[in-house]
Amino acid sequence: MAVRGARMLFGASVAGAYALVLAPVLAVVVISVFSQEIVSFPPEGFTLRWYANAWDKREFARGFVTSMQVALVATAIGVPLGTAAAYALTRARLPGKAALNTLLLGPLAVPGVVAGTALYLFYVRAEFWVDDDIKGTTLGLVAAHVLLTIPWTVRLVSAALAGLDRSAEEAAANLGARPLTVFRRVTLPMLRPGVVAAGLFSFIQSFENLELTLLLVGPGRITLPVAMLNYLEFRVDPTLAAVATVQIVLVGALMLITDRFVSLARVV
Amino acid sequence: MGTLQLAGLSRRYGANTVVDGVSLDVAEGELVALLGPSGCGKTTTLRMVAGFVEPSAGTVRIAGRDVTRAPPHGRDTGMVFQSYALFPHMTVAGNVAFGLEMRGIGRAEREARVLEALRLVRLDGLGERLPRQLSGGQQQRVALARALVVNPAVFLLDEPLSNLDAKLRAEVRVEIRNLQQRLGLTTLFVTHDQEEALTMADRLVVMERGRVRQVGTAEELYERPADLFVANFIGRVNALAGEVAGPGEFRVADGTALPCPRDAAPGMRATLCLRPEKLRFQPWASAGVPAVLARTVYLGGQTEYHFTLAGAPVMALRETPPAGDRLRGLQPGDRVTLDWLGEDARLLPEVAR
Amino acid sequence: MAALILPAGLLVLLLLVAPMAMLFRISLNEYSPTQLMLEALQPGNYLRALADPYYQAVMGTTMSVALSCTAICLVIGFPAAWWLARMDSKRKSLAVILTVFPLLVGNVVRSAGWMALLGRDGAINAALRGLGVVSEPLQLLYTEGAVIVGIVAVVAPYMILTLSAVIEGIPRNLEEAAANLGAGPLVAFRRVVLPLAVPGVVAGSVLVFILCMNAYATPVLLGGPQFKMMAPAVYDQFVRGTNWPFGAALAFLLLVVTLALTVLGSAVVGRRYRR
Repeated sequence: MAVRGARMLFGASVAGAYALVLAPVLAVVVISVFSQEIVSFPPEGFTLRWYANAWDKREFARGFVTSMQVALVATAIGVPLGTAAAYALTRARLPGKAALNTLLLGPLAVPGVVAGTALYLFYVRAEFWVDDDIKGTTLGLVAAHVLLTIPWTVRLVSAALAGLDRSAEEAAANLGARPLTVFRRVTLPMLRPGVVAAGLFSFIQSFENLELTLLLVGPGRITLPVAMLNYLEFRVDPTLAAVATVQIVLVGALMLITDRFVSLARVV
Repeated sequence: MGTLQLAGLSRRYGANTVVDGVSLDVAEGELVALLGPSGCGKTTTLRMVAGFVEPSAGTVRIAGRDVTRAPPHGRDTGMVFQSYALFPHMTVAGNVAFGLEMRGIGRAEREARVLEALRLVRLDGLGERLPRQLSGGQQQRVALARALVVNPAVFLLDEPLSNLDAKLRAEVRVEIRNLQQRLGLTTLFVTHDQEEALTMADRLVVMERGRVRQVGTAEELYERPADLFVANFIGRVNALAGEVAGPGEFRVADGTALPCPRDAAPGMRATLCLRPEKLRFQPWASAGVPAVLARTVYLGGQTEYHFTLAGAPVMALRETPPAGDRLRGLQPGDRVTLDWLGEDARLLPEVAR
Repeated sequence: MAALILPAGLLVLLLLVAPMAMLFRISLNEYSPTQLMLEALQPGNYLRALADPYYQAVMGTTMSVALSCTAICLVIGFPAAWWLARMDSKRKSLAVILTVFPLLVGNVVRSAGWMALLGRDGAINAALRGLGVVSEPLQLLYTEGAVIVGIVAVVAPYMILTLSAVIEGIPRNLEEAAANLGAGPLVAFRRVVLPLAVPGVVAGSVLVFILCMNAYATPVLLGGPQFKMMAPAVYDQFVRGTNWPFGAALAFLLLVVTLALTVLGSAVVGRRYRR
């Protein structure tokens, strides 16, 4: 009896946790097709016209493009650098390894608003030296977001490296492969799930980041989360929900595609 | 193919000496087994030959060339790993072709040699599978083919059978030995399983705590062990401490006289070692050594008889007597007489326990 | 090989350590309404922030919200993580996608979802009125409760993923062994799974706690204008005000309190379950 009760409680708590996490996502999708402009339940009818409306709002379209660009570039820079660092951290005999590890994971431990504030002041000072804009430029945003991608990569790739069977690398060396060839032909392919996970998480972290980005955006260079936040401070309406839904669908598609190449269940 | 020579090979980790002055010559086409309990340094020795562990002292020569400081990829050894270490992201054929590719062999020749190697290990037609789609035994054969296809100067096997079940192990044992002899491979083989070593190797190297205790053929090690450790490690042995009293006579502590080789110098303190199958016994008192039966262990074709001789346990192994034989009626506590040829016993210098 | 760390290490030094050092330096400066900042070395900004009842209250709210959210995440996350870790691999892919997916959607979007659910005319009030439970809509949005629910929903996936990675590393046959020795599922969980999962509990809680202390969008959108947590307060100093030294001091206080509580919490849990 007690066992059965426990099992039901267990099932209910799992369902509850997922309901809590997924409910707001679902809610956004649902209200994007409500016909009335002021969101209220129950709906008066359903329409798709908010999607057309959203397309006309340039701030969202531009925000989406900016976010995409920044996230892609930051991932393309952070993942290779982070992978190289993780490899050296796991494999090389180095003094001060723990300190280096802490340094590289540091951006995870510093609250985003604090790091964002520090970067803002740093950019202001640096603009003075180089006599050019850094705040509100793609370069400034990418530099900040690389800070997000490095620790996630170091973390995920280090974990993958720790779980790697070293004897496969030894076998390759035994068969005549030089160290670089061993890395390229054996280590890297075996790390692929970890690297793909690092790429996915880096992209997520960059694409959805708000706290670090808030002070660093500028006119014409606003990321999608900041654009949506600015809009939301006034109201939640179906147009915003439509934008969010498009993003949700894209993200879902991206994940399903990634999953086809690398089983996410095994890497995350 | 080539010879393998180890001279004074040692490896220390801080104050801990894992391999201590191992010297060994492996002739061309010979299979030598490194045998010993876990932690005896046998795997470290093998890894020094392959180049994965750098020796603290000593040299490794392969086909006459000093490779002590050469990187693993410059040594021309073919190694089969305990875990097989197959590349999980490459097909079977890709795995086998890897070493050929590293040696710059062209595609056409590569493909031909891969096919041949796969045929050699009876995996024809499985070239396009991934390692995880194969059974353990098949993976093991891929590992063999991968190491063999490059015609290495020296073939290295690190406990290659330990991940197989007992039945398969016996089969693969024969298979590896056949391949090795047919191809005339100079082979160093690491194992902790004495039966494996005895059945496969031309010569065995028994190691303990980093040192070589004895090198020899299976017969030499079994019949003429150099010390008590080897005697105990290869096969089973009855060991009795005492002193040589006269020609062919050995006395244990309580004064019981036992047969021993005639040429032993009187007065020598030693341990008398006797293989269980050399020990004869009769269920009645006669000329010989008195003992008491402690228990019998029936093993089917053979039976173990455990006795107490002057307070020490000894064991005899013989064919199970036919039903109705008087020996079948023996009960624990029965008095018996033990007997053996003095020349069958071996006196080892140190004292047991 | 050590050179491989250089590029990443230098980037972090340049973009995190140097700016943080500068932030700290600025926090010791003096504010001047006419010149923005005067070079100085004085703790006045810290003392002012610590003495100000407003910021005391904001810091208190931030800490209590972050601690509640971390605790709730742990409680609701553990069963979900166990469920995820022990799932057979076929369905697992889908479950993992379901867990990671909300993270990708971003917390601004999810806050918008909560606004639609919790508002006066939102789904929950509509349902309650439809069922006749209440006659007047409840004030759900713009409360501390809304903020806590919103933050928990945002960070729970991180907790679930971190915990499930650790639980997966606990051999399933340990639970079977416990059951074989007569432990019911709850006892097996408490005596075997939980102690072995402590590293995951610590890692997950630390990650989640930092994210909570740092929350910006959720308190701004679900807490309303009256509700203040530290992250928006720091931000306001730079956007609405021009008192950079004071803003920098606030930012540093947030960092120090976050790290101190993280270290303290890990130490306490670590000592309790030291193996």
